[in-house]
Amino acid sequence: MGADIKALRSSIRSVDSMLHLTTAMGLVASSKIRRANEAMIKGREYAEAVRKMTAQLTACPECRKSPFMQKRDTERTRLIIIAGDRGLCGGYNSNVFRLAQEYAENAEIIPIGKRACDRYHGEFCQCEGYTCAQGRELSEKLCADFAKGEYDRLGIISSRYVSMMTQDAEIQWVLPLEKSPDAHESGILFEPDEIQVLKAAVSEYVFGVIMAAVRESFACEVAARRMAMDSAGKNARQMLDDLQLTYNRARQGAITQEITEIVAGSGG
Amino acid sequence: MNTFNLKISSPDGNIFDDAVCGFSVRGAEGDLAVLAGHIPFVTTVMPCDCTIELDDGSKRRGHTEGGLLDVGSEEVTFFSWNFEWKD
Repeated sequence: MGADIKALRSSIRSVDSMLHLTTAMGLVASSKIRRANEAMIKGREYAEAVRKMTAQLTACPECRKSPFMQKRDTERTRLIIIAGDRGLCGGYNSNVFRLAQEYAENAEIIPIGKRACDRYHGEFCQCEGYTCAQGRELSEKLCADFAKGEYDRLGIISSRYVSMMTQDAEIQWVLPLEKSPDAHESGILFEPDEIQVLKAAVSEYVFGVIMAAVRESFACEVAARRMAMDSAGKNARQMLDDLQLTYNRARQGAITQEITEIVAGSGG
Repeated sequence: MNTFNLKISSPDGNIFDDAVCGFSVRGAEGDLAVLAGHIPFVTTVMPCDCTIELDDGSKRRGHTEGGLLDVGSEEVTFFSWNFEWKD
């Protein structure tokens, strides 16, 4: 009985410290949610504005000769995989990696986020502190390599923020560009010419899409962690209640037994 | 003086979004100034100092390492990730 009580006390202490941990992580995630959501919305707006402008260019007959609009027969793929910086965020990282498994075979991987870097042995690069300068450098390199024909298509695997409760892993194909169905020749002037402007616009577009995906993925990570820590906290509280009940019963049993033994001893 | 809406846009949000009288930058074919009612066009912007003329007559100056300028019929958008105010 004594050993039982000791083991229960140690379990209660361990679950209690776990509860503290999940509460702290949940609070940290909560404090980051608003900022992460604002950054996500700004990133989306920028990417959408650049996409619209690039769509105008794809309608020009001149631009269709650009290497950025040429579909090639071979399919040498480069994939940017954006995952979280830390664990303890439910299925967030595993959903991204599960989708990545479908496409990653024979593809060249560019990981963003500590978890993705660990998995794909990439250069260390955080998702939370990902700067515009890093995004710019990456987009310029990707565009230059695509124009040189070093690879044939560029995709981004990241998470889409649906709501606080739902985040979906998805793939979006960025290059080559496709003619947008709603784009039509608008008679806009391009200086110096369509090809030069398209070259600059593609770089801006790839940059915008990367930054938007990184910001959105971070918002998903924070939301997923918040929800995971909430439910972990609930489970820990339930476990703590059950353990406390068992502990009290065992303690009461031990006291009753001791009293019985004393009474029996004095009676004899 | 006639005004138009100028937006200086970056992935971290709009750096500037207001009605202005004029906007000067260095385009692909030299320095240019956009005024209200400018014909729609798109150009690449070279690294340069930019000047914004506000509707009260005052001027604001900034620096960019380059970007894209989209002059639309209703709004002018300058896409630049590294625009910095000089004043």
